[in-house]
Amino acid sequence: MTTTFERLRAILIKDYKFTPDLLVLEAPLEELGIDSLGTAELLFNIEDEFGVTLPPDAVQLTTLGDVVGFIDDLIVTQRKNQVQTDPVADFALPAV
Amino acid sequence: MRRVAVTGMGVVSPLGNSAQAAFEAARDGRSGIGFIDTPFARRLVAPIAATAQFDGAAWFEPLKLRMLDRVSQFAVVAANQALANANANANINTDTDWAQMDRSRVGVFVGTGMGGTLSNDDGYKTLYADGSDRIKPFTVLAGMHNAPAAWIGLEHGLTGPNLTYSTACSSSAVAMGEAWLRVASGAVDMAIAGGSEAPLSFGSMKAWEALHTLAAVDIDAPAASCKPFSKNRTGMVLGEGAAMLVLEAWDSAVARGASIQGELLGYGLTTDAGHITRPSVVGQAAAMSAALRSAGLDLSAVDAINAHGTGTQANDAVETAAIKAVFGARACQIPVSATKALHGHLLGAAGALECVLSLLAMQHQVVLPTLHLLLPDPECDLDYVPNLARHHVPVRTMLSNSFAFGGTNAVLVLRASS
Repeated sequence: MTTTFERLRAILIKDYKFTPDLLVLEAPLEELGIDSLGTAELLFNIEDEFGVTLPPDAVQLTTLGDVVGFIDDLIVTQRKNQVQTDPVADFALPAV
Repeated sequence: MRRVAVTGMGVVSPLGNSAQAAFEAARDGRSGIGFIDTPFARRLVAPIAATAQFDGAAWFEPLKLRMLDRVSQFAVVAANQALANANANANINTDTDWAQMDRSRVGVFVGTGMGGTLSNDDGYKTLYADGSDRIKPFTVLAGMHNAPAAWIGLEHGLTGPNLTYSTACSSSAVAMGEAWLRVASGAVDMAIAGGSEAPLSFGSMKAWEALHTLAAVDIDAPAASCKPFSKNRTGMVLGEGAAMLVLEAWDSAVARGASIQGELLGYGLTTDAGHITRPSVVGQAAAMSAALRSAGLDLSAVDAINAHGTGTQANDAVETAAIKAVFGARACQIPVSATKALHGHLLGAAGALECVLSLLAMQHQVVLPTLHLLLPDPECDLDYVPNLARHHVPVRTMLSNSFAFGGTNAVLVLRASS
């Protein structure tokens, strides 16, 4: 199964024309030329690929690894929320 | 007031992507107008335009390109050319004064009529046509009118005034005139001035079509569809591109050994306040007279005129009458060129492109032709230099006319480098 990192790398290589060697988990986004504005645009572009919806508030991400972690968290949270909005599951879960 | 030299010129246009290439095409009568190859062409009554052969990917890093509408891409490339041409770019020649120049004394003055209309159009398509809410995050940045000027300033670290003028078809003439005023007055020492336009979106082309100002396709010769001053003219053809000029205080240009390409002598600006589209003989004539007054020249100094010459029924007849109103009996002896027959109407970039062409024409002692003028119109009875350039003509001083919807008339007075 393709990992989140591999899918993110594929987007960065195809749409952003990055050299694959630069794309390691530790790579700081700023050093790749992706500032906070660029990060917001990148996250917009990965919404479709990962089937997630970004939260409205801004996030602080420093490295590519942070982006991978952020996406993974979103996937988990939003899958759980989908379960939560299911009326049966909703009933079974404790109220928060 | 200080004298103002033109020391650099850059062009992206339907006639080629350098000032020299565009000049040669204009001189030789090579048209940049043709059928457009785009999916929406079949929904246009006249699927023709003057397109620039330009791929932003060849000029910009992918990350940066994502933020740049085509209008900003044109502007930055033309400005870079102009600065390189002015030998003022640190990347070109590190020991010029550019490296030490106080960049707070350098301004950017850009005209655009429609700004980032391609990006806005793309956003509307997402929302309204595709029914999606996924409008791109950079739509505002790419679409805003001042993006072209801002990117030029960012590219070169220019911290002086950074201004955008939007007066429809006279935008870039206004930008150059306002830059001229600031260099002449000493408010700045150098200016990058000109215009950029990328209006060939589906929405924009349909809107122009709906206004009934666009030329019908000449079935026999699509490239000849724009016919300024000809009896059978049917309108203008939209064009895209940018032209940027480096304006500099004359004395400092001379002191740093810059190659002086010409001089901006004056600028006349009037407003019709009569009708939103209908041109006015009085307003246009007043702008020409005001330009000559600001240059301290009398009528006899004008050797040639670059006409606004759009190829619409209204403009060409009114502009002819305005030239006659200013120059009287001498009007018939002044060559009047309308280069839009070849490069189309670049709207907010038209005036700057035509200044570049006029300055190069004077340098080469050429009077540029008005193409596709085969049927004389009794209402348009000046010397339009029909179809063929004239060579070995000592043209020293020219007017360049730009008139606009909204009624803003801007006229620049240009002098050849001697």
